Amino acid sequence: MRATGPLIALLLSLVGCASQEVRYRQLPPDTPAANHAVNLEKARAFAAQAASAAKNTKPGAAVEPVPLTPADAPSLATYDPWGSFNRSMYRFNARFDEAVYLPVANGYRRLPAPIRAGVHNFFGNLSEVDSVINYTLQGRLGRGVRSLGRFVINSTLGVGGLFDVAEKINMPRAPTGWGMTLAKWGMHPGPYLVIPFLGPSTLREGIGLAGDYGTSYAVNVADLYRGSKSWGLGVLNAVDKRANVDFRYYASGSPFEYDTIRFLYVRKLLIEDAGLHRERPAKISNPDQPAGE
Amino acid sequence: MKQCVVALALAILFVFLAVAADTASIEAPPASGPATGLADLAALRATVFGTPPQDIAPLPNKVPLLEMDLALPWARPVPAIFWFDRRLRVWLSAQDKPAPLAIVIAGTGGDGNTAKLSILRAVLYGAGYHVLTMPSPTFPGFIVSASSTGVAGDLVQDGRDLYAAIQQIISHLPRKVRITDIDILGYSLGGANAAVVKSIDAMEHKLDIHRALMINPPVSLFSAVGRLDKLYAITLGNGDAGVERFYQQLYAALANLYRATDRVELDEDFLLGAAASVLKTDAEFSTAIALTFRIALINVFFAGDLYSGSGVVVDPRHPPNVGDSMDEIFRILRGKPFSEYFTKVFAPYYLRRRPNSTVNELIAENRLESIGDALRGNPDYYAQTNSDDLILDAAELDWLQRTFGARIQVYDHGGHLGNLGDRQQVADMLDMLGGRWKGSAP
Repeated sequence: MRATGPLIALLLSLVGCASQEVRYRQLPPDTPAANHAVNLEKARAFAAQAASAAKNTKPGAAVEPVPLTPADAPSLATYDPWGSFNRSMYRFNARFDEAVYLPVANGYRRLPAPIRAGVHNFFGNLSEVDSVINYTLQGRLGRGVRSLGRFVINSTLGVGGLFDVAEKINMPRAPTGWGMTLAKWGMHPGPYLVIPFLGPSTLREGIGLAGDYGTSYAVNVADLYRGSKSWGLGVLNAVDKRANVDFRYYASGSPFEYDTIRFLYVRKLLIEDAGLHRERPAKISNPDQPAGE
Repeated sequence: MKQCVVALALAILFVFLAVAADTASIEAPPASGPATGLADLAALRATVFGTPPQDIAPLPNKVPLLEMDLALPWARPVPAIFWFDRRLRVWLSAQDKPAPLAIVIAGTGGDGNTAKLSILRAVLYGAGYHVLTMPSPTFPGFIVSASSTGVAGDLVQDGRDLYAAIQQIISHLPRKVRITDIDILGYSLGGANAAVVKSIDAMEHKLDIHRALMINPPVSLFSAVGRLDKLYAITLGNGDAGVERFYQQLYAALANLYRATDRVELDEDFLLGAAASVLKTDAEFSTAIALTFRIALINVFFAGDLYSGSGVVVDPRHPPNVGDSMDEIFRILRGKPFSEYFTKVFAPYYLRRRPNSTVNELIAENRLESIGDALRGNPDYYAQTNSDDLILDAAELDWLQRTFGARIQVYDHGGHLGNLGDRQQVADMLDMLGGRWKGSAP
């Protein structure tokens, strides 16, 4: 019975009934000097990158990708036949995020940075297993070997994946998964889909996520994906993910936020898809076909 | 560098299918002259990219952040589609000792936590102020939770709503916050809002605001926006073709850049790097700027239409509900110039409320000149702007200089807000707010 009070408060806030004149939320402090140092470093890196732009091609690429022309751009409209469900789900996710997910992630962000980095690296390292399998299925064996190398190095020298030693020896993280494999095999993104708790996706990416989870469950590294501890680890993984995403539902204040996110998400996905193929995307016969279909 | 991402992200999303504007019964205010910096590539570039990181003023290591969500007693019933904007959200960074409070207001369409506000918050907090950052009265969250009309853009009405909201916020600040003095400032339209709030306070004395600073303010909201409408028409035209062409070019350019790298994800770093190669010419920068302003105004237009019942895009008898498709409304609004908001929503609404007013009087009331006497005569008003600011024409810049005299600093370069946060701008800003400026009253 003691849990009833907080539970009712949570339910009320999820259905939007929480009411008091002022609500205060202490956020993790801003760190302007450190953020600025990162921006400065990035600006330097971009300047260097621009200087060597001429050499900026895929390493080992035997054939240059055929450039896209403006006519290859997908339609301005997005394929969203499940719009009504998606919009309601977007609202549910926004409320869940505001009431539960974000407060927990903000609390987590108060832990010392090295601890959070260790957790982040740990889950990143576990996902290398899925990357190795999917790079292989995509026929990108070099990348698969690199992911395998990262997993071996970080699991041993990196103390079970807590430290990303591989990155320091110029083997940066480049995760992939079933969504990208399906794209490589030629599957279109499909209908836009807002997944409960997780957010923007498409049918293909949703299937991909299920595939990624299924792979992890089947491989079951160190028996982490079965039994009671798998729940705890799953929650920690979710909190780590949220704490590393700088997004706030409805910070835009706009009733068109759903439309904006949908547009950007699907265009981003389509550009990433185009990056998987050397040839131009197949010409769409119907110019009115919405993006993603 | 955040600005690049914003510019690019916005540029990608300017997906407008413009529709030819209907003949309006009320004439939109004319843009008096070309903007001072419109033909200047440096001004355009600065406006899009903002202050280069190496020129940013020293910033503090840590700034505490308290988020406050307020339900204001005069709020109007919240339309279902705006369910998330029920409360006014502001941010407070409080010193742990008695200190002056700086209230900072965002520019057109901005919430209370924009990248530009973050910079101002950091330098003001570093200089010893409590800092309260607020959304623009044109931000949908403000329109829904704090506006008494729902029809944003009227300097005086917005100023009154802001003034009332600030009083509520201050009465609900945590008890440990001890305030010794209150100053108010804002950038772009927020600068004009700040000055109007101070002028209202000078009559009502509920807060006793000491100094007000305007950073890159418009002299006339409607002529500034009219100029941006014109820029939009020049760069993108009035029909669908220009918008679609721009989107397609941008998409192909980004996709080709992406395919030439070995990245596995199109992330922020990629966009930051791509911005410089995608935006190069006057026309491209102008297009990005025109589109940025246009998108900020879509929400103002939608909310104004909904609240006033004008029926331009929203059927007042059947307002959209959660779960309803907004595609068609968004598509139509994307193509509407701001002048149409003025002629079909704003002017009819305010003329109904002020039956003895004329359109010309409405326009005049929305010029800074309406508080010109205070700006000229009161030594506690200050301004900073750039000689190549895109939202001013030569006559307006001249008016600002004549009005403020020694209390304005005009920088040679920076376009619109392209030098916000740089060392000189920050040093001058702190001198102005601290009463140390060379033109300060003794």
